[in-house]
Order: sequence, then C-alpha cells, then structure tokens
Amino acid sequence: MTSTGKSKAFVVTIALPLLYLAGVSPDAPATLTLVPEARAVVGAPLTPVSAAGVARRTTRRVVVAESTATQSAAANTAAVQQQQAATAQQQSATAQQQSATAQQQAAATQQQAAAPRPAGAPAIGSVVTALPAGCKAETRDGVEFQNCGGVLYRAAFQSNNLVYVVQ
Amino acid sequence: MKSTVHSHLLAAVSQCFAIAALTTLSLAAQAQSAGVAPEARHMLKASTDFLGSQQRFTADTRNTLEIVLKSGQKIEFNNTARQSVQRPNRLRAERTGDLVEQVFVYDGQSLTLYNPHDKVYAQVPAPGTLEEMLDFARTRLDIIAPAGDLVYTNAYEILMDGVTEGIVVGKAVIEGVRCDHLAFRAPQVDWQIWIQEGDQPLPRKLVITTLDLPNSPQFGVTVTRWNLNPAFDAQTFTFTPQAGMKQIDFLPR
Repeated sequence: MTSTGKSKAFVVTIALPLLYLAGVSPDAPATLTLVPEARAVVGAPLTPVSAAGVARRTTRRVVVAESTATQSAAANTAAVQQQQAATAQQQSATAQQQSATAQQQAAATQQQAAAPRPAGAPAIGSVVTALPAGCKAETRDGVEFQNCGGVLYRAAFQSNNLVYVVQ
Repeated sequence: MKSTVHSHLLAAVSQCFAIAALTTLSLAAQAQSAGVAPEARHMLKASTDFLGSQQRFTADTRNTLEIVLKSGQKIEFNNTARQSVQRPNRLRAERTGDLVEQVFVYDGQSLTLYNPHDKVYAQVPAPGTLEEMLDFARTRLDIIAPAGDLVYTNAYEILMDGVTEGIVVGKAVIEGVRCDHLAFRAPQVDWQIWIQEGDQPLPRKLVITTLDLPNSPQFGVTVTRWNLNPAFDAQTFTFTPQAGMKQIDFLPR
C-alpha cells in the first residue's frame, strides 16, 4: 500500500480489472477529492472479474489525487511545493508511462512557453484530478490549456478519469 | 431411580443430537471446501450461455462501491448505469452518480469516452469486435467498459478462472424477481451472484468482496431492468460532439 505519509495528497489504490456490469471503480479518484484530506484512502474493492482469476486481472493501479482545497489553500507555501514534488516522484515511480509523458510534454512546453514557469510550480508531467482556483482557458496552437497562475494544465483522460497534466 | 434413567436417557438423546449436529456441520464444511458444487457451476453456465446468446439487450443497473479510509471507515459511492449492447460490435454505456457523468460509445470502428458535464471527449480507433475492443480498452487505455464481461461469449470461463469453491446458497428475491443465489471463492475475492429463475436465467445481482484489503470492501451491482428486445436508433451507438465540446487525449497507459 502506497502512503504519502505527511503529504496531503490522496493516495487512492484501486483495482481495475474488468467490470461485470458496470464501472464504478474508476470514479473513485475523482469523487474522493471531496473526502477530507486527513483521511487518506487505503483501498477500493477489486472489481468483479478479479473473481475471474489472477491471470486476467490487471495490476492494481495507484492514483494520486490532490484535493482542490489543498491546492488552492496552500498554493504558495513551500510545504506544498514539497508535497507536489513528492507527489510527482511518487507518480513517476508508480507509473513509468507518466515520466515518459512528462518528458514529451517538457519538450513541448519548452517550445510553447512564452513566459517562465513560476517558482514552486508543480512538476511538469504531474497529474491532478482537480484544477487549482482561478484558472483561465487559453488556446495555443489549437490546443486548449488551463492557465492557473502561470502554470498550464491540459485536460486528458487517464483511464476513465478526467485529469489535468501539468505542462 | 426412574428419574435417574430418564435423565440418562435425556443426556444420551441430547448427546446424539449434538453429534448429529456436529456431523452435519462438518459435512457442510467438507462440502464447502470440496470445490465447486456441480449445481452452482451448472446454474452459472446456464446464465452466461443465455446472455451470450442474446444479440441485443439493455441492462439498467444500480451500482455501489465501497472505499476504505485509513481509519478503517467505509465510504460508499453510488451510481446508476445503462448498458446497451448489440452484437457483434456495438456498445453504449452511460453512467450517472456521485459526481460522475460519463458515456462510453463503441460503433465498431472507434471508441469514445465523454463526460457531458465537463464537455470533453476522447476518441481512438478500436478493433472490430466487442471482445477485441474491450481487451484493447483495458490493456492499452486502462479503460473499463461498463458492460464488461457481459459481452464476452466466454464469460463463464472468465468468471470461473481461479475459483476454488462454489455453492448454491438458496432462493432469494432481487428487485421482485425470484432468483437462485450462488456464492464463489477465488484467491483474494469472494463473489456472489443471483440468477433469475426460469427459462431466462439472467444475472440480477452481483456482489464482490475483496479480501486482501482492510475491512474487505465490496462492489455491488443490481440489475433493475433487463430489456432483451430494445429499440435502438441511429444515435444509440454513434457519437457526435455537441457544440462547445473539446476533444482531449487519452494518457498512455
């Protein structure tokens, strides 16, 4: 079980084998942004066809979802920077594809970035399930981004979840 | 003297009952650990075969998902869903519930996932059959199609893979429908299924208990309505983005 320790980020461990009739498990990370932050989540059920045996079962996936409240309330504190760094590290450790994505996006961002990133900005390529407060949509090269205090986020589906990738 | 004999008799009789009861219990225990009861296997197979033979159907479901917090407290999330299936290569699944509104559409060529409320959608080319598409979605995109295993024609093999025990619990009534209640065990997972009595052995309820997480959270799905003769129209399995909808990417798995 992954734990963020003192981090205020949520760590949601969910299993994503096939669902028998309906998919509810993928909702968990998004909905859990409303759970009070002190109560990090330890797990959701295996979904039905984990009953179908280990062979078919996909590995458990770890999703790190920061709460909106956490992000907006502490956006400027060093503590949050550390959390976000820790979050980013955790994500890259738990999901190799994310670091690959981050590299691509880092390259893309270098080309696109008109202004330097603000100090303490979350790590490029890190994934959040909710945007901080005060974002404005802007379009660059036909792609829509959310500009949140100088940090760009791009919407994407990660599994069934709508997430935002830091650019 | 007479009363002593009587009490001896009583003691003997009650001992017999106790032994009989113990024997019954241990027999029951043996039966439970002796693998999958043939009738349980039979009923499940009849159900999956029946559903596998249905070419078009919709299932309206009510779903619950438990999450365990660090404190051990369980939190339950709810949603309802409608799955529309037309073999061999059409699927639509809609979910609404706790903060989530999501539609999954497969038209035989591409699959689309969209959140109407968020006004975003993502679309990718997909394989040409339902089963291949579901495998593709799961392994490449980590996307769980809400109709899931219903669609697989080998649903029985999928469900029974790894199962070590199975019993027929008895009769039950789910949403007003008489059912047979079955219970199975697999490594780390217990699951129960309720199957409609009679010549349409449809699954009516499914409960999954995850044993290797604290407090064993459960997932449950109850079918509130089956329709084996649905009226699909041209829009059922196609996706047309509404005005203002933004296309986004799937993150690679």
